[in-house]
Amino acid sequence: MCAGNVMASTVTIQRAGRSSIPAAALHDLRLMPISQTDAKTLIVRNHYSHSLPGGTKLSFGVILNSRLLGALTFGVGPYLGYKLVNGATPDDAVTLTRLWLSDELPRNSESKVLGIALRSLKRDTSLKFILAYSDPAVGHLGTIYQATNWLYTGLSSATPLYDIGDGILHHSRSLAHQLGSHSIRYLTSQGINAKTVSQSAKHRYIYFLNKAWSPRLNVPGLPYPKKGCDMNGS
Amino acid sequence: MEVSELPIEVLKEAAWNANQTDAKMLQRLRSSISKYGLVQNLVVRPLGDRYEVLSGNQRLKLLREFNVSKVPCVVVDLDDAHARLLAQALNHIHGDDDLGLRAELIREVIRMIPEDEILKILPDTIEGLRGMASLGQETVAGYLHNWEQARSARLRNRIFKLTDEQLITVEQALDHILPEAVRHQGISPNTRGTALYLICKSFLEKENKDGS
Repeated sequence: MCAGNVMASTVTIQRAGRSSIPAAALHDLRLMPISQTDAKTLIVRNHYSHSLPGGTKLSFGVILNSRLLGALTFGVGPYLGYKLVNGATPDDAVTLTRLWLSDELPRNSESKVLGIALRSLKRDTSLKFILAYSDPAVGHLGTIYQATNWLYTGLSSATPLYDIGDGILHHSRSLAHQLGSHSIRYLTSQGINAKTVSQSAKHRYIYFLNKAWSPRLNVPGLPYPKKGCDMNGS
Repeated sequence: MEVSELPIEVLKEAAWNANQTDAKMLQRLRSSISKYGLVQNLVVRPLGDRYEVLSGNQRLKLLREFNVSKVPCVVVDLDDAHARLLAQALNHIHGDDDLGLRAELIREVIRMIPEDEILKILPDTIEGLRGMASLGQETVAGYLHNWEQARSARLRNRIFKLTDEQLITVEQALDHILPEAVRHQGISPNTRGTALYLICKSFLEKENKDGS
């Protein structure tokens, strides 16, 4: 079953470089709330997508020795994503939409940071689960989710993006918000030359903050995808 | 590198200077020079019987305003292409602030200097400045508790798309029940939303009654 439509909000962890801060510093990593503006500045500057999707609800910074060396954001994510879990409402879930950590941070910073965030969300909110997506089209398997024991639910189909000739690919939701509709027929009638651009399917992971909700998952958990394996999860 | 004090009359702005400044930013530069003086030398090159400014064209405008007679300049001898390249390098090679360190710095400045004085010089808004100063000052638990509270108090938006004809009917129904909605303001501060709720409630009650 398809849980919803994956928008271009895939989390990517960009850690290609070599860390320059010793591993011992992991203990000093702090997760702090930051404004959406600051999160956007960091993400736009450093994340490979250079964008922060709309609908961001929570934004955190990763601080080490007073320096802001990472950011992670949670937002509404794909439309109807919450329907992956029986009886859930949109308020029961958020989607991890962006995670960027500086290459200067030591190895394992991602799992440390994500662990702190998940524990906080579990302790201090009524959220039941978190969704996350990783994009195989750019070589991402969701290693961080595998390392932090998320459930893998396979590849999720993706809604197309919209090209209206302004150099930006728009999500259907933002297009409807800006122009009143994302219907191609409607846009054409308004003199806008719009066309759809397919997106690749994303690996979809789910993490239950409230473990009592895990039996409600209405798709099977699958083995984690590995490098070189078939993308259909087989 | 030699610094020369050149008469302001011999300095001329580079016609090809790509770096332009709006009035607000120029005012901040004016405030900065008024307060701290010219703390950065201009970079110029000899061109004919005058000197062309490669870096400091905006400062030069203000120095004229201030009736400065001599300007400290670093003089370089460059051809056209290298003059332009150096100007670009001077304008564009710079780092980005680490936001965490900037927040600490701003907090320190705010402790010592009134906000209105800071805002005369820095290109921040008051909200931006305070937001920056508050970075890292809130606990995760406090932030999430506030978020939870805001979620439970939040009014939900629903967007409906209606034809003109449908809209007239909906508006008529809303107007009809609006006096009743005003009496139910405890439900929500949005009276029209409450009016819609009452219409739907009444419909469902009628449906249930008819069905039973």
